[in-house]
Amino acid sequence: MADILGEIKKNLIAGRVDREDEGFDEDMVGQPGVTELVRQALEENIPPADILNEALTPGMEEVGVLFEEGEYMVPDMLASAECIAEATKILEPYFSGQEIQSRGKFVIATVEGDLHDVGKNIVSTILQASGFEVQDLGTCVKADDIVSIVKETKAGFLGLSALLTSTMTHMKETIDKLKEEGLRDQVVVCIGGAPVSEEFAQKIGADLYGEDAFDAINKLDKINAPGN
Amino acid sequence: MPRGLKIKKQSFLTEAECRIVHEGSCRLLEETGVELTNPKALNLFKEGGAIQKGNRIKMSRDMINRAVEKTAKNFIMKAKDPENELILDTKSPRVHFGTGGQALYVLRKENGMFKKKEAVTQDLVDILRICEKLDHVDFITRPVEPDVPDEEMDLEKTRLFLAHTTKHMNLANLIIEDCLPDIIEKVGDRSSISFISCVAVSPLNLVSPTVEKFIRIVSEDIPVAISSCPQAGLTAPLSEVGEIIQVNAEILSAVVLANLVRPGAKVLYRGIPITSNLHLDVSPRWCQPESIRRIALISDITYFYGIPCCGTAAVSDEKKPTSQALSEKVLGWIFEAASGAQFINSALGMLEQVMTVSPEQYIIDDMGISLVKKYLSMHPGADLKETGREVVFKALETFDVKTTREMEKEIANRIEFIYSPKEEYSPDYINNQVDHIVNAVSSAKSSSKFLKDSRKGLRKGWLYMGKRIEGAMNLKEVLKTKDGILGMRLRGT
Repeated sequence: MADILGEIKKNLIAGRVDREDEGFDEDMVGQPGVTELVRQALEENIPPADILNEALTPGMEEVGVLFEEGEYMVPDMLASAECIAEATKILEPYFSGQEIQSRGKFVIATVEGDLHDVGKNIVSTILQASGFEVQDLGTCVKADDIVSIVKETKAGFLGLSALLTSTMTHMKETIDKLKEEGLRDQVVVCIGGAPVSEEFAQKIGADLYGEDAFDAINKLDKINAPGN
Repeated sequence: MPRGLKIKKQSFLTEAECRIVHEGSCRLLEETGVELTNPKALNLFKEGGAIQKGNRIKMSRDMINRAVEKTAKNFIMKAKDPENELILDTKSPRVHFGTGGQALYVLRKENGMFKKKEAVTQDLVDILRICEKLDHVDFITRPVEPDVPDEEMDLEKTRLFLAHTTKHMNLANLIIEDCLPDIIEKVGDRSSISFISCVAVSPLNLVSPTVEKFIRIVSEDIPVAISSCPQAGLTAPLSEVGEIIQVNAEILSAVVLANLVRPGAKVLYRGIPITSNLHLDVSPRWCQPESIRRIALISDITYFYGIPCCGTAAVSDEKKPTSQALSEKVLGWIFEAASGAQFINSALGMLEQVMTVSPEQYIIDDMGISLVKKYLSMHPGADLKETGREVVFKALETFDVKTTREMEKEIANRIEFIYSPKEEYSPDYINNQVDHIVNAVSSAKSSSKFLKDSRKGLRKGWLYMGKRIEGAMNLKEVLKTKDGILGMRLRGT
């Protein structure tokens, strides 16, 4: 049992989602990655909680340390975060009733008029790996649509992204609509993207500005969703 | 005497290497094509022989080659003052330096301290007036937008340009398509204006509604720069070869569209293959050596096609005027100018990448460009390893920065990196990179694929890691020049 959990952890640190992934080493192609190993562990009747607590969580913690020490870079972090997200999907049914502890529902979108989604996608993956239930609405999403999803899902967090100076104004529009709907106090509004800043977040009444995905996670660690 | 610096072009890629890049880009456009949903553009492509498959449009090599052949190879960009006209021609290249944009903030010197404020209409006026006076600013791209509602923006911008400059007016983006006839009426001669169209979003996507505005500008016979700015490792492969193939395919697809709208279209090739800070926060790396190199390589590709090049340079991360900003900017200009980019739309006067403008920085940058021009004129075709270092040092010394051996080593390292190819330009490697791009584009999240694929390149040192250039600058003369141009009208001074 220890061997397979060790293998899961090793592959998570290498950021290998499946057997097609080469990680850092082309010779690894063809060998099982995190998803195949998690399935194998379940077939071998290893308790899902052990997979989570003894392989995935310590593996991701080690990746975090490697990143802080400068040995790992953003793509390494993202590759491991993807492994966690995929492994969680496999494990989820086994936790129904007990449920994997969620940090809250997080709706995320690129605002109207903006088709850029790179930053949003990275944040979305890192949020999932950090335990949030993420609903990604995609790009060019109208303020009305964002607000209605927040209302429908009772999300505690909302992430808004924009790359263009011409579209960042839709962030304020979304916050204003949340107020109109009486939802503003129920949701932590986080914003990010190249043209936005801490000052801009304050000006439009957002709760949190994330310079990048990791900055956002660090700041989210310090606050709780109003609904949670 | 027309404006512009006559240069002896320096090449980084051979003609054979440019040809195999072209082959790779053609393969991408033939097999994968570009994502396109705009009905008007789709009809134009299909009538021209392209094939629609789902939301992608694929075009043949013949179609691409015909479009390149038809594209205008030389044209004049006029100005209110005929002495400020720019002649763009790859056969007899002249390099022109201009400003860039668009910034949201302005940095003002108040009581000896730099303070950042939101940019307003008066800042646009001040910058236009400064650039009108600066000898080495050949054309002006709007640096900040006037603070008026969107529906008034195009005409207000045109009015302010006409009132405050006699140089070529690059209005950058068209906000409302239907304002174009009124803009043309105001300026009189349509060749005295030009636009930049960010019509391509990487990877391989021609976006609405920009594509519709692009069609309108081309149909009016107004010069327009086709812009594509992928970030290697995020929206393109981290590989230099892969990114160049992709950006070239993106721009070629818009060149094809332009010639379907109007054969002989006056377009400029504005490919900006920069990298991303994959070490930390994935922010764009504009002025780092690997990006300076890639941008210079694009100039070679434009010469291969004979299409005028809209270059890029001088985008620094620095938040205020510093020695680091100056050295990054000067190095960018010298390589971009030596590579022969004819219309260098640079971050002249800008800081914090392109988020902030600074009246003082415009004056500093004008001095920097004057040195670049002087050295390239005095030593045509010279080895930039030596000349580049000399120009950066001369620029620093102009502002009384004490130069050191460490600085010398750092500048030499940057230049060495710019000159050193990290990958091979072989048919096999090109095909391998095309396969990577095709895989990423066909996956649900292309950015994740590009990011993961970048892990090996990162460990091979494809992103330059160096030291900052530190040293206090004496800005006394700069402040005097600024006050001389603007008098006491500057807000807050």
